[in-house]
Amino acid sequence: MTRKTRSATAVAIGLGIALAATGCAGGSDDDSGNTGSSGGGKVTVTLWENSTTGPGKQFFVDAAKAYHTLHPNVTVTLQTVQNEDFDGKLQTALNSNSAPDVFLQRGGGKMQAMVDAGQIQALDLTAADKTNAGPAAIAGDSIDGKIYAVPLDTAPEGIYYSKDLFRQAGISSAPTTMDELEAGVAKLKAANVAPIAVGAKDAWPAAHWYYNFALRECSQDTMTKVGKSLKFDDPCWTKAGDDLASFLKVNPFQKGFLTASSQQGAGSSAGMLANHKAAMELMGNWDPGVIAGLTKDQKPLPDLGWFPFPGVAGGQGDPSAIMGGSGGYSLSKKAPKEALGFLEFLLTKDQQVAYAKAFVTIPVNKEAQSVVTEPYNISALQAFNKAAYSMQFLDTEYGQNVGNAMNTAVVNLLAGKGTAADIVKDTNSAAERG
Amino acid sequence: MSDTLGTDTATGHRSQGTSRVGGAATSGSPTRPRPASRRRGRAKMRLEIALLSGPAIIMFLAFVIFPVALAAYYGFYRWHGYGAPTDWVGLNNYKLILTDPAFQQVLKHSFLIMGLSLVIQGPLAIVLALLLNQKIRGRSVIRVLIFVPYIISEVIVGTGWSLMLQSDGAVNDLLRHIGLGSLQADWLSNPKLAIWTLMGIISWKYIGFAVILMLAGLQSIPEELFEAAQIDGASYWQIQRRITLPLLGPTIRIWAFLSIIGSLQLFDLVYIIWGQYVSGTAGTSTMAIYMLAQGRNAGNYGYGSAIAVVMFLISLIVALIYQRFVLRRDLRGAVTEGVV
Repeated sequence: MTRKTRSATAVAIGLGIALAATGCAGGSDDDSGNTGSSGGGKVTVTLWENSTTGPGKQFFVDAAKAYHTLHPNVTVTLQTVQNEDFDGKLQTALNSNSAPDVFLQRGGGKMQAMVDAGQIQALDLTAADKTNAGPAAIAGDSIDGKIYAVPLDTAPEGIYYSKDLFRQAGISSAPTTMDELEAGVAKLKAANVAPIAVGAKDAWPAAHWYYNFALRECSQDTMTKVGKSLKFDDPCWTKAGDDLASFLKVNPFQKGFLTASSQQGAGSSAGMLANHKAAMELMGNWDPGVIAGLTKDQKPLPDLGWFPFPGVAGGQGDPSAIMGGSGGYSLSKKAPKEALGFLEFLLTKDQQVAYAKAFVTIPVNKEAQSVVTEPYNISALQAFNKAAYSMQFLDTEYGQNVGNAMNTAVVNLLAGKGTAADIVKDTNSAAERG
Repeated sequence: MSDTLGTDTATGHRSQGTSRVGGAATSGSPTRPRPASRRRGRAKMRLEIALLSGPAIIMFLAFVIFPVALAAYYGFYRWHGYGAPTDWVGLNNYKLILTDPAFQQVLKHSFLIMGLSLVIQGPLAIVLALLLNQKIRGRSVIRVLIFVPYIISEVIVGTGWSLMLQSDGAVNDLLRHIGLGSLQADWLSNPKLAIWTLMGIISWKYIGFAVILMLAGLQSIPEELFEAAQIDGASYWQIQRRITLPLLGPTIRIWAFLSIIGSLQLFDLVYIIWGQYVSGTAGTSTMAIYMLAQGRNAGNYGYGSAIAVVMFLISLIVALIYQRFVLRRDLRGAVTEGVV
C-alpha cells in the first residue's frame, strides 16, 4: 500500500511540475514591456502610479496620449495600484525582474535600498530638466550626488485648519508659536470642538508631530548626519520628545485618538476635519484631497486654511524650515531611454499645470506655480519658498526600519507608556537590528 | 504524461504497456482474465490518486512547505527585501529575538490570550451545550444565533466591533441612554480594559464553534447511560459530573487543542481593531502582529522571517506537548473503551 501511494505521489508531483512549468513559460511570453532596447523602433513604456480614480488617473492617461502624439514610436501603458498595496507589489516586481519601466518612488530609505540592490537607474537630467524641477526638489531625490527620481510636486507639511471653527472659538490669527497654539487649543475646547485630530492607529500621522518638533529642535546638520550614522545621540532628539510630552499635557487631540485611523471614513482624523468635528490636523499636501473625499457632498472644504508648524523657543533648527515629502518617479534598471523622455515631458510647464490641477497640489516647476489658487496651497507655497531648507519625512529619510521603530515609540509616548528617552532608545536599537 | 507510462513499465507490468493506450474503451470487456484487470484496476486507482491528490500536494508544497523553508533561509540574513539577500548574519536574528523586550511582551500577550480563551470559553461552551441539548422552545434558533458569529469573516467582525466600541461609538451611547453613563469607558485604548474587550469579542466570535463541537460530543453519549443513572437515583449534577463530563472529555480536549493553536496564531481581529502600533500599547498585540510589523512594515525581512520560524517552533512544541500528555488517552481510545 505504501509503495503504491508513494508512486502515485511521484506521478502527482511530476504532473504538477509539468503543469507549473508550462504555466510559467506562458507567463513569460507576454512580458514585452521591459525590452531595454531603444533603437528607432516602436517602444512600450510601462508606468505604475497610485491614483486609482478621478482626475489624478486621468492626468496620466492624457499625458501618455499627448506624449504618443509627439513621439509616435513611444506608447506609455499605465497601471494604477492602490496606495497601500503599492510598495509590496512593486517590491515583488523588482525582485522578480518584472518591474515596470517607470514607477512612483517614495524616496528616502526605500530608494536607498533600491539603489543598493542595483534596481533603479541614476538619471542623467539635462540643465533644462534641472531648472524645471528646481534644486530643492532634486536634492531630495539624490543619493551621493546622483539623481534617482524625477520629482513632480512639492509636499510641504503644515497644519490644516477650519477657518469657520477658528472664528467660532474666537481665534483671530493662525498660531505662530507653541504658546499661541496651546491657547488656541484651550479656546477650541471651550467652544466644544475637538482642537486637533490625529489618526494614531496608523502611527505615522502621530509621529509627524514628533518629526516637526525634531525639525525645530535639531539643526539641519544634525538631522542630515544622522541619516548616515543612524545614531540618535544628540540631545535634541530627546528634547523633541519632551516638547511633544509637554504639549500632550494640554490634551490637544480628539477623544479616542489612539484607535482612530487617519484617512478612512467620517471618524478618521481627516473625516473629523471634513465634518467640522475637529479644527486642525497636521498633514502633508495630499490632505485637502483626502478631506474633500470625506465631506458630506464630497466637495473640497470651503473654509480650509493652512499654517506652518509653530516655532519652538530655543531650538537649533531654523524656524522657517519645513518638513515635506519628496519622491517622484524612478526608472527601473531595464527601462528604455524613452522612459526618461516621458518623465522629462512631465516636468514641462503645460504638463506641470495639468498635474497641479489634477492633484490640487503645488507643482515643482516654478513657471507652473501660478496655477495654485486655493488659499491653503498659496499659504503653503509661500512658506515653502521662504523656507531655509526642507527635510524629508523622517520615516522615509531614515529608512523603513528606523522609521517604523520611531513611529511605534511615538505612539507609546502618546499612550502614556513611554518617554522621550524611550523614543531615542528604541530608534537606536532598531538601527542596530536593521 | 510519458512519465506515468514509464512508471508502469518500470514496475514490470508489460502486458499493460499496450493495452493502456486503449484505455477506457476496452476496460469493461468481460473476456479479459481477472489478474490483469485487477492489475489494471490498481493502475487506474493509482492514476486516480495522482489526479485527485496531485493538485493538493502541489499546492501544499508551493504554498506551505516552500514558504516555510524560505522563511528559515531568510532568517539567517539581514535583508531589507530589495534584491537577493546577501548579508549573512547566522543566528544573530535569533539572538536578537531572545533579548528583544518587544518580542517578550507579545509572547506574554499570546500566552495570556491562549489561557484566557480556554478558561472563559470552555466552561461557557459546556454550559451552553448542556442547555441547548435539552428540549427547549426555539432551540434551533438559539443554536443558529450562537453559531452565526463564527461564520462571519474576521474583517467584518473586527470593523463592526471597533466602530461600536469607539469612545463615541454605539456601546457608550447605549450605556448613556439606559442610564448607565458611569460605565462608559475607553474600551479599545485603555490598556486595563483592552485585553478584556478583546477576550469578549473573541469569545463572542468563537463560542459558537465550541458549542457545536460540544453538542456533537453530547449527542454521541448513549442515552441508556443517563436512563440507567436516573433509575439508580442519581441527581442532575451527579449525572453531569460523573457521566457527561468524562464522556465529553475527548471533545473538550480536541476543542482546547484547536483553541490553543488558534490563539497562538491570532492575528486578524487584533490587526483590524487595534492595528500594529496601538495593539502594543493597549496590550493586545500578538506574535503574528509583531512578525508583520518587523517584516513587512519595518522592512526587516530577515528578522521578520526569524520571528516566523520562532512562532512556528513555539506552536509545534506546544502541539507536541499537548499531544503527548493530554491527547494520549484519546488517541488510544482508552476512555471510551473503558466506559462503554
